[in-house]
Amino acid sequence: MEDLKEELKKQLIEQLNLEEISPADIDDDTLLFSDKGLGLDSIDALELIVLLEKYHGIQVTKPEEGKEVFRSINSMAEYICKRKS
Amino acid sequence: MKFITAYCHLRENICSVNGEIVSMRDNDSADSWFKQIYKEQEFAYPKFYKMDVLSQAGFLTSELIKRANPGLITDYNDDEVAMLFANRSSSAETDLKFIHSYQHNGAPSPSLFVYTLPNIVMGEIAILNKWYGENLFAVLPGFNPDFYMNHCSILLSADSEAVLCSWLEVTGYQIDAFTFLIEKKGEKSIEFTKDTLSELAELGGQQNKNYANY
Amino acid sequence: MSVRITGIGIVSAIGLTVQENLLALKDGRTGIMPFSFRNDNKTFLAGAVRATNTDLRKELHIHDQYVSRTALLGLKAACEAWQNGKHCDEIRTGLISSTSVGGMDLSEKFYSAYLHGNNPDFEILRMHDSGSTTEKIAVELGISGYINTLSTACSSGANAIMLGARLLLQGKLDRVLVGGTDALTNFTVNGFRSLMIYDEQWCRPFDESREGLNLGEGAAFLLLENEKSIRFSGNRTLAFLNGWANAADAYHQTASSPEGKGATLAIQKAIEKSEISLSGISYINTHGTGTKNNDLSESVALKNVFGEHMPAFSSTKSFTGHTLAAAGAIEAVFSVLSIQHQLIYPNINFRSAIPETGLEPVTILQTEKPVSAVLSNSFGFGGNNSSLVFSNHE
Repeated sequence: MEDLKEELKKQLIEQLNLEEISPADIDDDTLLFSDKGLGLDSIDALELIVLLEKYHGIQVTKPEEGKEVFRSINSMAEYICKRKS
Repeated sequence: MKFITAYCHLRENICSVNGEIVSMRDNDSADSWFKQIYKEQEFAYPKFYKMDVLSQAGFLTSELIKRANPGLITDYNDDEVAMLFANRSSSAETDLKFIHSYQHNGAPSPSLFVYTLPNIVMGEIAILNKWYGENLFAVLPGFNPDFYMNHCSILLSADSEAVLCSWLEVTGYQIDAFTFLIEKKGEKSIEFTKDTLSELAELGGQQNKNYANY
Repeated sequence: MSVRITGIGIVSAIGLTVQENLLALKDGRTGIMPFSFRNDNKTFLAGAVRATNTDLRKELHIHDQYVSRTALLGLKAACEAWQNGKHCDEIRTGLISSTSVGGMDLSEKFYSAYLHGNNPDFEILRMHDSGSTTEKIAVELGISGYINTLSTACSSGANAIMLGARLLLQGKLDRVLVGGTDALTNFTVNGFRSLMIYDEQWCRPFDESREGLNLGEGAAFLLLENEKSIRFSGNRTLAFLNGWANAADAYHQTASSPEGKGATLAIQKAIEKSEISLSGISYINTHGTGTKNNDLSESVALKNVFGEHMPAFSSTKSFTGHTLAAAGAIEAVFSVLSIQHQLIYPNINFRSAIPETGLEPVTILQTEKPVSAVLSNSFGFGGNNSSLVFSNHE
């Protein structure tokens, strides 16, 4: 699970073009979409959907599902594990 | 009478504001040319990194003009500054990247698709400055002073009080960005005529060539 | 000050001519059908024009094989609006077209061949850029004065009309053909899918259950003339363009602001310019794409302007699909027809209102209500919002 979280951080930074940010800057529970967290926006949310499919083979078909799934690295990792089992 | 009160050139090798070079490309840098300028000029707008090259060029040149002419922000209401942009290649550079994303990279990229319209650069500048004025983007065979003269005259006789204009041609091998501000006031500035605009436009090319000769 | 509209031409999923489009609108017949690109097994709902490129080339006598579908559609509509107009030195003529995809339908084929090393034909790329579509139309119609191409996403067509009107009123031109054209491409289908706003079902503008848009393709042009040009052409005036406005939303690259600021400004300023009162607007042809975001934002904007006195409104995108750059022009033609024939079109597929606003569009064709002035909205990505006001009087 820890490896997955590290992997996710790297994938996130690359997929979303987050310059000036390294995996060390993202905590497992950093709120991805909050201004106090990573401050991602709606287009980033869509790119995360692409990321899940591209790197983890998981399809998110309803954008509304995204809100809970993409709250933090923790929630993303949990979701991936749940879908894969 | 109308005046060109500030202008900015962004070419392959140089970036200049009101005729003075403010940045020269460092070919040894790991950063792209636009990132170099962003960092050197100490801009603080992380959304810059998500923009495509057209929007980055528009952002850089318009921000540099704002710095040179802060009245652009303070002197006008939020719907009085119009934007008039044009280029030859539309969003072709990003269009190709988008096609590549679904034909070659497995899935269409939403963040690339967003930039497959040339007018998004004006949207980015409007979002940054909270400007609600008119925006127009035309696709032309080449830089044409008449286009800017005619349309500025139309815009300034409607509800606009100033026009931020730009010729923004950015493709894989060519960077030719010339952004300039037209205002109704500015008696100490350059008068806005076809000749003065053409001269200023050419300045960018000359400065770029001179640099390349070092 | 208003501008006379003396010619209209249109090609869309519901018809290849003005007459065909009008009949479909009256009959409530949608043109959105299951569609797939050749050599592709993915099927989706779209408003495709019922004519192949071969059909179009034949009808338009085009022998050059390097002509994009966007240009063919544009030329078909432009010819209809132009009505075999004659040229003369004293009548300064212009053409303002608009497009989002330009020659992308050809470029996609090129790129695929290029990636697979299948002898890509570089000649195809000549037609890629938006400008060459316009130039093709200009050459065919013999227009050589002012030629321009706009590209401001879904408001392009409306902006072309607005620019043409301004050039006429500023005395820079005597007549101008204005409009837009866009063909269906993998590029745009993929794009809207990636934004998750492409509905797998028939789009339902302003409906609570709406899930997105269906793409369409097509083209429309209008001929605007001043009195001097009309004396020369002898054309009848079909309707007047009385008001127009463009405003930025300054909120997001592809989403509209929740308070509909840019849209509100565009609508307000266009109506102000027309000097028609709010109660004088008989019908609103909305942008109404069927996306969750647009329809809510546009509803808020309409309420901001009209309050409790909402005129009859509908979206015709449930007939044609979202035709991108052509939309503003196609819907301008529908607005002119609405005035000419006293029609208010139904918003097909509507069942229940958006809970946040409670607005209900017209659902059955109206033929009894007098239509004297129509507001047409076109809101584009990049927060580029335009509104036009048409009427039966100067």
